[in-house]
Amino acid sequence: MMILQLAWRNIWRNTRRSVIILISVTVGIVATVLTDALNRGMVFQMLDNQIGTYVSHIQIHRAGFKDNPIIQNTVPQTIDVDSLIGSVAGIDRFTKRVITFGILSSAKNSSGISIVGIDPEREARVTTIRSSIVQGEYLSGREREIVLGVKLAEKLGVGIGGKVVAMASALDGHIGSDVFRVAGLYESFSSEFDKVFAYIPLTDAQDLVSIGNRVSEYAIILHNREELQRVQATLESDLGDAFEVLTYAEILPLLVMSVEMYDQMMLVFYAIIGIAVIFGIVNTMLMSVFERIREFGVLKAIGMKNRPLFLMIMIEAFYLGAIGTAVGFALSYVLYLPLAQSGVDLSMFSDSLRSFGVGTVIYPVMTAGVVVNALTVIPAVTLLGAIYPAVKAVRLEPMSAIRYV
Amino acid sequence: MEIIRTEKVEKVYDDNGIPVHAVKGVSMSLAKGDFTVIAGPSGSGKTTLLNLIGALDNPTSGKVFFEGVDLASKSKTELSTLRLKRLGFIFQAYNLIPVLSALENIEFTMMLSGIAESERHDRAIAMMKELGIGELANKRPNEMSGGQQQRVAVARAIVNDPSVVLADEPTANLDSATGSALLDLMQSMNAEREITFVFSSHDPQVIERGKKLLMMKDGAIDREESRDRHN
Repeated sequence: MMILQLAWRNIWRNTRRSVIILISVTVGIVATVLTDALNRGMVFQMLDNQIGTYVSHIQIHRAGFKDNPIIQNTVPQTIDVDSLIGSVAGIDRFTKRVITFGILSSAKNSSGISIVGIDPEREARVTTIRSSIVQGEYLSGREREIVLGVKLAEKLGVGIGGKVVAMASALDGHIGSDVFRVAGLYESFSSEFDKVFAYIPLTDAQDLVSIGNRVSEYAIILHNREELQRVQATLESDLGDAFEVLTYAEILPLLVMSVEMYDQMMLVFYAIIGIAVIFGIVNTMLMSVFERIREFGVLKAIGMKNRPLFLMIMIEAFYLGAIGTAVGFALSYVLYLPLAQSGVDLSMFSDSLRSFGVGTVIYPVMTAGVVVNALTVIPAVTLLGAIYPAVKAVRLEPMSAIRYV
Repeated sequence: MEIIRTEKVEKVYDDNGIPVHAVKGVSMSLAKGDFTVIAGPSGSGKTTLLNLIGALDNPTSGKVFFEGVDLASKSKTELSTLRLKRLGFIFQAYNLIPVLSALENIEFTMMLSGIAESERHDRAIAMMKELGIGELANKRPNEMSGGQQQRVAVARAIVNDPSVVLADEPTANLDSATGSALLDLMQSMNAEREITFVFSSHDPQVIERGKKLLMMKDGAIDREESRDRHN
């Protein structure tokens, strides 16, 4: 106990120096916590945006559709998939789509696109497409309406009410085509998505590619994302080998991998902050040791062994790290709370953020990982930084230390 | 009973490549209960000899025995334990720990010895009362006079019941009255507790109180004198 007390008093011998190092640790913690929370928020938002814009939690296709998404690979009708989905616990809502690749032409230009035939009401409950409309209207249920991304409309040179011709390869091999009137323009979180995906009514899409009442895809939203594996296993079991049941993690492997790799990337960031802090600690503790060389000589002369002396210096550093971390974390949390509500407006970088599929307002997320990193990395770094000064003190010979001027 | 013995002890320092013979072949012995003064002019080697017999420094050649054991046979940790439990040190500059109160300074060596908190507290309080410094318990070194600090240093040195207390110029920073009172205190500790005191000093009032005097000159014992009683 006395060593703890002694170490505590020692750090306040030079208040100014201790306060400076505490400020540097505090600033380091605030910077790392907020950056970590913001980056995590950004990565989670990228994933959530992909799920919410189109991908959903689980997709059902004919087996092989993921690798070969041709119109021939429609969902088998051997099972009443609608009823089956409705019977599986954990599924909140679903929609079905026809997906084909084709060309969309206007009077001025044409572009290769993904044509997505949707049930407007069901799709609006599963994705954010309806709320993404920025001009005109969402699909109303009338025939031959089309909703385009703003970027695609710009490229084609069409506006609301304008006409476009969609062409796609039909099931029997002929080229199906039809004229659509632009009902609305949407803007999602991803400018790349907006350039490619055009939405038309489900029946129009089925007619365009001559597939009757068949569909290419079911998109499902769960009540709870944690039930993903269980629901996937149930559907796979019930549907059989003729179907493929994919989670968003399987549909977006790169994005999910980047979320999983995020902790490792942040470790590099923490290492950089840690290196900056460690030099401050080494410097502070070395100065503190050099100022007390005679005192250490006396302590060793009166019988203090190396271990308690080493421990005392390590505790001094730990106090600095722990106090700085506690203050820094508290400050970070106070700053985090309003930012988590309002988000951080990065609209000045909107073009680059939208190309990555992130919104312009980022909502920081303080996960357990952020808290654990913040509360462990810097105190550990301060201990590391104190080892060299502590070893210096331990290696002092009592007499030469007492004589030190 | 012999407590400390040196055999042809030499200490040579390297002063920028020039060897300095601080102690030259000193052989001496101290018995339990001695009140010995190692005296001599500055540079005569008295402090170096004190450090050698206090296990604070290693001789270049020769041997130092403490209670019959050659100090060269002990590891650094064992020497730390010896200094902690068998020796007490009083320094010219008091050298109290500045961030601890007088009471905590006295408790500190007992804490290092592993004595329980309540026991060391009681012993430190009793020691302070015995030395007449009870009212200083909560004062930090910078709130005490030199004489008060040196009394606390004495208390720190003897509270662990050492066999020998080594005092390096303990009165050098004190006025003569304060120094005399401090010596009275140490003499009474010597008489009542049979603690062996070894001083390094050129202060006449220290020298005249020594039961045994080792007069050093140029690193060697020039004269050894035993006295039956204090002057």
